[in-house]
Amino acid sequence: MQKNALHILLADDDEDDRLFFKDAFEEVRVQTKVTFVHDGLQLMEHLMQPDVKLPDILFLDLNMPKKTGKECLIEIKKTEHLKNIIIAIYSTSSSEEDIEDTFIEGANIYIKKPSDFNTLKKIINEVVTLNWHYHTSGLNRDNFLLRLK
Amino acid sequence: MKWIPKFNSSNSLRVIFVIAVFILLFLSSIAYKHNQDLNESSKLVMHTYEINIQLERLMSAIKDAETGQRGYIITRNGRFLTPYIYSRDKVNTSFITLKKLTADNPKQQKNLQKLFGLITQRFTSFENCFKYSNPQTYDKRKLDNHMFGGRILMDNIRFQVDEMNDIEKKYLQKKLKIYDQEISLSPVFSISLFLAALTFIILAYRQISKDIKRLKIFNKKLLISSRLMAESEVIGKFSTWQWDLDVDKIDYSDNQYRLLGFKPNAFVPEKDTFLNFVHPDDKDAVAKSMEGIVNNKQLPFIYYKITLPNNEIRYFKSTGKLLTDQQGSHILLGINFDITDEHLLNVELQERNRELEKSNQELASFNHVASHDLQEPLRKIQTFISRVSDADKAVLSDSAKDYISKIEVSAKRMRVLIDDLLLFSRTNTTKKEFIKSNLNELLENAKSELTEIIDEKKATITVSKLPKLDVIPYQIEQLFINLIGNSLKYNRPDIHPEINIATEKVSSKDYPDLLEQHSKKFYKITFSDNGMGFDPQFKETIFILFQRLHSKTDYPGTGIGLAICKKIVENHKGHITADSILGKGSVFTVFLPE
Amino acid sequence: MKLFIKFDINTICSLFLKQKLEEQNMNFTTLGFGEIELDENLSVEALETLKNDLSPFGFEVVENQKSVLVQKIKDAIIELVYMDDNNNFKSSVFLAEKLNHSYGYLSNVFSEVTYSSIENFIILQKIERAKQLMLVNEMSLTEIAFLLNYSSVAHLSTQFKNTTGITPSAFQRIIKKRRENLK
Repeated sequence: MQKNALHILLADDDEDDRLFFKDAFEEVRVQTKVTFVHDGLQLMEHLMQPDVKLPDILFLDLNMPKKTGKECLIEIKKTEHLKNIIIAIYSTSSSEEDIEDTFIEGANIYIKKPSDFNTLKKIINEVVTLNWHYHTSGLNRDNFLLRLK
Repeated sequence: MKWIPKFNSSNSLRVIFVIAVFILLFLSSIAYKHNQDLNESSKLVMHTYEINIQLERLMSAIKDAETGQRGYIITRNGRFLTPYIYSRDKVNTSFITLKKLTADNPKQQKNLQKLFGLITQRFTSFENCFKYSNPQTYDKRKLDNHMFGGRILMDNIRFQVDEMNDIEKKYLQKKLKIYDQEISLSPVFSISLFLAALTFIILAYRQISKDIKRLKIFNKKLLISSRLMAESEVIGKFSTWQWDLDVDKIDYSDNQYRLLGFKPNAFVPEKDTFLNFVHPDDKDAVAKSMEGIVNNKQLPFIYYKITLPNNEIRYFKSTGKLLTDQQGSHILLGINFDITDEHLLNVELQERNRELEKSNQELASFNHVASHDLQEPLRKIQTFISRVSDADKAVLSDSAKDYISKIEVSAKRMRVLIDDLLLFSRTNTTKKEFIKSNLNELLENAKSELTEIIDEKKATITVSKLPKLDVIPYQIEQLFINLIGNSLKYNRPDIHPEINIATEKVSSKDYPDLLEQHSKKFYKITFSDNGMGFDPQFKETIFILFQRLHSKTDYPGTGIGLAICKKIVENHKGHITADSILGKGSVFTVFLPE
Repeated sequence: MKLFIKFDINTICSLFLKQKLEEQNMNFTTLGFGEIELDENLSVEALETLKNDLSPFGFEVVENQKSVLVQKIKDAIIELVYMDDNNNFKSSVFLAEKLNHSYGYLSNVFSEVTYSSIENFIILQKIERAKQLMLVNEMSLTEIAFLLNYSSVAHLSTQFKNTTGITPSAFQRIIKKRRENLK
């Protein structure tokens, strides 16, 4: 597949979740480079750096201190050079309202944090694969909506 | 005013009075006539005897003359002529009198004339006797003739007098007889009239006393009633006032004075005095309503505040209506209610309601947040357990492996519980947006959620066409998921679950105990399965939160599923019932209003 | 004002590629989507430069035969899905005939290279088209189901939901609200 490693950015304030995520990505067949931020403010600061390498996929937790995932989402979608990043909401909430809301605000993917590691691996694989398809097969990113439980 | 009983004593009294007067008049006239008749008859008797006397006087006068004549003839004494001369006068006098007395009787007049003639002849005879007895002109033969003639004349005179007397007597008798006849009737008449009058008077008396008794009773009732009214005004904290529009006089009931903080009849109520008691905030509105009363002939309910003399504020509610009574007078009847207690109670209730609502909301969000926040550590537990790889497990002791799997089971159970709790709280708290939805679509969604189990148990689901209703879509979907899920879960072992969903339109009247009668029509959706069923004695309790019929090791479940179903159905103002035959199957019936 | 713009990736890419290659003074002929015949053979460095030039734009120079085949399979699938009268074509038959290989072989190569199956890709493309038809052409689900050869609307809905995780109606709702937000 891609020669260049996929850049993944996870914004999550929970240490354990970051650990799970990292481990899961290690077992993904695509080459990835995973970076982490701890909260919303840190995320925006990171993204707004002038020469930063923007992620291919941004995994965004909703419940973050200082700035919530939703606030970041809205801000990112308003920022010209950031709005085309594929954003996957990665959250514990399974409220239909939250889900639809984030999609409406521009999220591409919604993932409910699984309680099983294997499921997490599967999800991540699917996301990455699908993302690759979108890159390579001329699929419309604007219509890219995916919900994974 | 129909309730005044008709007393007819006034009419009967009048009648009786008139009759009595008439009877009295009648009786007096009869008495008067009687009197008159008596007078007349006595007068007649007098008259007759008067005539009799005069005639006798006449006779005696003539006899005196005769005696005088005889004495003179015999003695030739002049002294015997005196009675003779006097007698002549007497005769004349009597005659004149007799003429008067017999003036009304022409027959008697004639007789009198005859008598006068005879008497004149007699006196002529006397004169002749004097002449022929005078020694100068003595003529014995002529004397004897005249003396005998005189005797015969005397007899004729006597006869005539007797005849006249007889006639008078007969006349008297006749008249007396008539009077007697007339008089004889009057006592009978009088007595009968008297009796009649007496009867009337007795009847009248009875009627009057009856009427008076009735009057007394009604009066008493009225008195009791008005006392009760006054009492109920006090108890019920309301008062009445009357405004006679024709006379422009206002009457307050006793309690009206009291409600305004005064003693009864403390002042004379005028049209505008009432406004003085009204709280300044409401003065305008009340004044306007009062204007409106006269025009509209009624006063719709108005609410206002009253300031008592002691500056206490009371809340009032008033209404009024124009009444026209039997006599045609216009009376405005007003009723005032002191609703201060209710008002304050209301205010308190509203306050309580607000607090309850707030408390409810807090509870609900607590519920939601708690379930939500509980998920986090649980998820971690489960994820970390799943990280314990097979390789790791291989080096664990058997008991440690066992413990880990037990932790897994418990964690899974907890997750299910929390998920269900979350679902339950969500049916309460989220905005209830009713959208017209096709229930068939929602059912399809539910089925797709359960695809795995459906395939695994090789279940068949038959559906009849479901309607389009105003519902909260995700809740109805959850309802379907829970009900179908249950049927799938509790199937009879080794038997493929068959679930039938049927729809029927029913009227709420057919289920008066179950359904809210506001809606007329309901859709009855029955979910019947061929599962293991349950003991029908539990058909009410299975909907209770956390009630389960099986142990959790036999069948995974939290006891929340059906409670959620019940809550969802209640949110839609419907109803859900369950029934079953143990070992045969169960039927869940959902009623949703149109 | 709002405009709906439909763009043809193929045209864009071809033009772009052409531009880029002309910059490098490379003459070429286009053989198909993604297939270019260069007039001259490139050196390894030149190829490397070309790759690096193109990769920022998402272009990957594929050397591998299998990758080429996979690309062809993808093209064929896209063609199949976007065909309007494909009622009688079974995808396996179509692909086998078009690409002159057995379906089994094609399937294996595809999975090897992409780590996902042809079936999945077909579904992905169909759903993608369905999305387009929903949003741009504003067709009803019934019409779309018919056009894309689904046995029923339910089948389409199910597959849509399985692929994207949301129902077609939810998808429409979300996109609609997104557009409203952008106003």
